[in-house]
Amino acid sequence: MLRKSAAFPVGLYAMLLFALAWLTLPALFAPLERWLLGAATAAPRMASLFLGQPASAATHDDLARVSDLRDELQRRVERQDFAAEGVKTPAGAQKLLCGVLSATRRGGGGRMSELLLDHSYAELAGCDRVVIKGDQMVGFLMEPGRGRAVDDELSDPARVMLCNHRDAPRLYAGIEFEGDADSSALRFVVRSGSSVDPAPLRVDIWDDPYRAAHLNSYGMEVRTRALQFGAGRFAVPAGLLLGRARVWGYEAGQAEDDLTIGVYVDPPFEPSALSYVVLWRRQISSREGLSSIRAHQRAAATVYDLPGARWGRHLIVTRAHVSDHAAVVQGGLLVGLARGLRFGSGLMTSFPASRRRWSLLLLQDDASAAVVEMSGVVERADGNVAWVRCQGPSRARMSALGEGFLFTGSNGRFCPSGLLIGRVTPDRQRPELLMVMAPRAPGPYAAEVLVAAEEAR
Amino acid sequence: MRWLWWFLVMPQSFLLAGYLRDLGLPPIDMAVWSALYLAWFAQVPAVPMLLLGIALGRALIDQAPLPVHLLVVGVPVAVLLPFRALFVAQRWLWQALAAALLAVVIPKLSEVCAGMFDQAASGVSLDPWQVLWAALMLPPMLLASRFVPPFRAFTEPGELLPRVDS
Repeated sequence: MLRKSAAFPVGLYAMLLFALAWLTLPALFAPLERWLLGAATAAPRMASLFLGQPASAATHDDLARVSDLRDELQRRVERQDFAAEGVKTPAGAQKLLCGVLSATRRGGGGRMSELLLDHSYAELAGCDRVVIKGDQMVGFLMEPGRGRAVDDELSDPARVMLCNHRDAPRLYAGIEFEGDADSSALRFVVRSGSSVDPAPLRVDIWDDPYRAAHLNSYGMEVRTRALQFGAGRFAVPAGLLLGRARVWGYEAGQAEDDLTIGVYVDPPFEPSALSYVVLWRRQISSREGLSSIRAHQRAAATVYDLPGARWGRHLIVTRAHVSDHAAVVQGGLLVGLARGLRFGSGLMTSFPASRRRWSLLLLQDDASAAVVEMSGVVERADGNVAWVRCQGPSRARMSALGEGFLFTGSNGRFCPSGLLIGRVTPDRQRPELLMVMAPRAPGPYAAEVLVAAEEAR
Repeated sequence: MRWLWWFLVMPQSFLLAGYLRDLGLPPIDMAVWSALYLAWFAQVPAVPMLLLGIALGRALIDQAPLPVHLLVVGVPVAVLLPFRALFVAQRWLWQALAAALLAVVIPKLSEVCAGMFDQAASGVSLDPWQVLWAALMLPPMLLASRFVPPFRAFTEPGELLPRVDS
């Protein structure tokens, strides 16, 4: 009997299946996890008062600089995202900066193809459907009750389909050949690629297939062109940057030209790294209320060291209901991300100790340098110093990055962009790595955790 | 009562192991230790709930969610458990080999689960010293733990008796 049950442990297999179901439907089982882990933190909560090293905090000098740095970040983000040289904007239109909560649904090129904004559809009423960022074309605002957004309500966070979304409209675009003997633009139609394509967008129909077949250079800018008729609901201004052309084909022998078999377009941004997008509103609205999507309150919390846990793993105690992945902050400084538990407890993981993918903003010391949006994962950490592997900017751009300060991008509803993480030094040997030093000073400290407006007490 | 004892002690033992490591003692991977105990010595019907206590302990020190810890510890146990009937579990060589194997497999499995389920990856990295320590220290610790609470209450009765090798 013992041997039979050992050879086929049904109960264990059932528990593993249960764990798989748990991962598939996390929202359903989240209360159970909060209860179990909340109960398990009761003893550490007592022990934290007497044992262990104090949790890291920032010095007064660090905190004094945070406010100025955040203002500078916001000023530079607005400057570069509102700038759209050469793009004809609708007359009298007001530009509206919207935060991105998340990027979902794989589309062309295997990249994410939908954005969830921190504004509701109701707040964006009267906006153009075209969504941009600087002079870059980002995508189209969805309409609640239609198409993919058929189940969305007006009060829901607005969704944006990027150009690589399977339902995105085809776009009329072209490549300008400056200095070429045959300097007329090569015009074509761009559509979403398939998920296995080498880039998110692919060129579909050419006005001059013969010239197209002789394309053999890489990185030419692809920009939208104005349509005189037939644009309908998706009228796109001319001059918006769709991306850079990527020519796909075979290298030929010495006496022959290369054979082009396809041209793809690489958008200038990585969807999961986007923190802000811009919409145009034709009717200027003077009263823009703060929707519940962006309405945070800060609830008082105390951060304790968790004796025996790895560095950067802490216990937080608060009276408010804490959501998973809520930011724990000290002034405008990110201390870590919380996991809310029952019984007034929570677990917090600091940025250097985290292993999740972050949306990040880099504010370089050079005042003329642009704010860089990127996504990154902490590859390794040593105390309060983390090495972050970044994605988003090209390798050439990463190589040219200077020192500066790293901030959170949009990492969900309760971890908004603009929280200071630490000082950044690029790694010159490996440009994709950034060394981030989080402020640290000894001493237990009081912090705040971002919670829904109704939860703060 | 034995269950209460298990759920009180087991999660905290992960923190205790970390605390002892911080004091300068050799690092003990509690996940490896407990997985070996479940696979070789625990009463089979009790294994699923024992696993839950272990996953809770691991969730305290690691940011991955609870079901990931259930899988990371549970899958090696599910693989090793049927071999309990084939091998003489008390042979130290087998235990040392299994401990070294699990010290490699569990961090790797954490990475795989994190990638597969789009969860935060575990911060555990593969450390050759940890593998060596696991192979050297876990067999005697397993021997001792079978006779102390709360492990004793869940150990197969046959494993508590002194074995006479033929």
